[in-house]
Amino acid sequence: MATSGTNFYDLYRHGSLGVTLTDALDDLISAERIDPQLAIKVLTQFDRIVAESLQEKVKARLTFKGSLDTYRFCDEVWTFLIKNVTFKMDNGSNAVHADKVKIVSCSAKRTDEK
Amino acid sequence: MSNANVGGVYDHIIQEVINAVRVDFEENGVDDGVLDELKKGWQHKLSQLNVAQFPWDPKPEPPPPAPPVQASAPPPAPAQQSQQQTPSNYTQATLSPQTSAQPASLPGGPHPNGNGVAIKPDPGMLKNDPVIKQEPGLANAQGPPGHPVYNNTANPGRGMAAQRAAQALESQYGPRAAASINAIHMGSQINTAQQGQRPSQAPQQINQQHMNQQQMNQQQMNQQHMNLQQMNQQQMNHQQQMNHQQQMNQQQYRQGIMQQRVQPQQGPHPGASNGLPAAQVDGSGDDFEGILMQRGPDGRPVEMGRVEIDSIIHGQIAARAKQMEGGGLMLPFKEATRHRGTASKKDRTGNPSQVDGPEDDFKDEDLDDDAINSDLDDPDDDKDDDEDDDDSMGHMMLCMYDKVQRVKNKWKCTLKDGVLTVNGREYVFHKATGEYEW
Repeated sequence: MATSGTNFYDLYRHGSLGVTLTDALDDLISAERIDPQLAIKVLTQFDRIVAESLQEKVKARLTFKGSLDTYRFCDEVWTFLIKNVTFKMDNGSNAVHADKVKIVSCSAKRTDEK
Repeated sequence: MSNANVGGVYDHIIQEVINAVRVDFEENGVDDGVLDELKKGWQHKLSQLNVAQFPWDPKPEPPPPAPPVQASAPPPAPAQQSQQQTPSNYTQATLSPQTSAQPASLPGGPHPNGNGVAIKPDPGMLKNDPVIKQEPGLANAQGPPGHPVYNNTANPGRGMAAQRAAQALESQYGPRAAASINAIHMGSQINTAQQGQRPSQAPQQINQQHMNQQQMNQQQMNQQHMNLQQMNQQQMNHQQQMNHQQQMNQQQYRQGIMQQRVQPQQGPHPGASNGLPAAQVDGSGDDFEGILMQRGPDGRPVEMGRVEIDSIIHGQIAARAKQMEGGGLMLPFKEATRHRGTASKKDRTGNPSQVDGPEDDFKDEDLDDDAINSDLDDPDDDKDDDEDDDDSMGHMMLCMYDKVQRVKNKWKCTLKDGVLTVNGREYVFHKATGEYEW
């Protein structure tokens, strides 16, 4: 497990948590309250903390089925576009259905090795 | 997995991040208040997304709900303003739909200019008068009974020939030929009415056939002269030299033609002697020459002349030919573009000049200058591009993958540490397995 925080994916910045953090940082930067370099440091910390938190704090399991529309594997990143997906939670709660889901997935090994 | 623990996880992440960057903030000499502001702004924005139930949102904790109010000092004011302005907004909302509804209802109703543009074979556009020039094969018994010659169902060609013969006789012999003319008329009338009684009308038939033969001979001779004359004229045009001999020949032929024409008075049409039974009767009034109508710019139906119809047909054929050779691929670029330009110009500036049914599809392709009839040009392929528009907070899963396996079209993948946004809700999972078919 890396400690520097530079070896984590910035993948989660595209999720709701990362987008809102980026927005908040942008507001501060445009108000000239903080430096852009500081904002980059915050985001780097965010990358690490999200990955660690998801590993440690989350125990939920999930299965999903659907029809794969598009798949792509580039630079060790899988991208799937799945249509008519049904997500089932392990706690037996109601399934969630979606017409279209895009999955962006980075290799789990890279973070483990480093 | 439900999204109940999402709030807790996110709150934990936020706390962790804020704590982790606190040192950095201090090193940069940034006030702690700014860090607090960052946290509140982050939480507020996250709450606005409404993707999950967050611990700082509900009442249990007074401090967390406070931040949104405090951090967003501007937002409450707009909220009050909007409440105050609700009455006026209502009136606008109730009034504007009515004013906008009237123009909106227009498209449903009859469009004033739409009819002029619509190119449909309107039944009313076809001129349905009894004076329509009827083709021999299409002639029917609708005509007025006063013109039995034009109304010959059984043998229209013979009827016209009979009329011509009658006119020729009249012009040649005057009143003396009245009996013969009457006989011819009788013959044609009887032909129409009593097709089955031909044998009994043998004399008239013979008489008529005789006249036909006579006329045919005249036509053939006339045609020969005409052909020679035309050939001579073509030669002259091509060579652009005034040859005296040819001029003399031409004059001679003209004189011969004039002599030929004096006798039958009504010169037969050159095209009538090509073996077809008098396909065209020329010289009738121009007033019913057009058989198709089109709507003018003012909406009134305007009769289309033969030249206009011919130009339409020519345009159609040209477009079809262009389509067959690949939309101008085989032509030099200049020519291709020039043709296309004229064709489209004709279609646009001239009023809807098409009367043979709805517009064909290939015209649109013709107008596309870059079309090379390749699959890559197919505009339908553009639909697939919507996969790439990551509709910001749409349905998306961000995760790590452990394994991605495929057997033929069946995919199995093992994912972990993911965040899933679907149907406006957010989920987190430690492990996920997906099975899908391609």
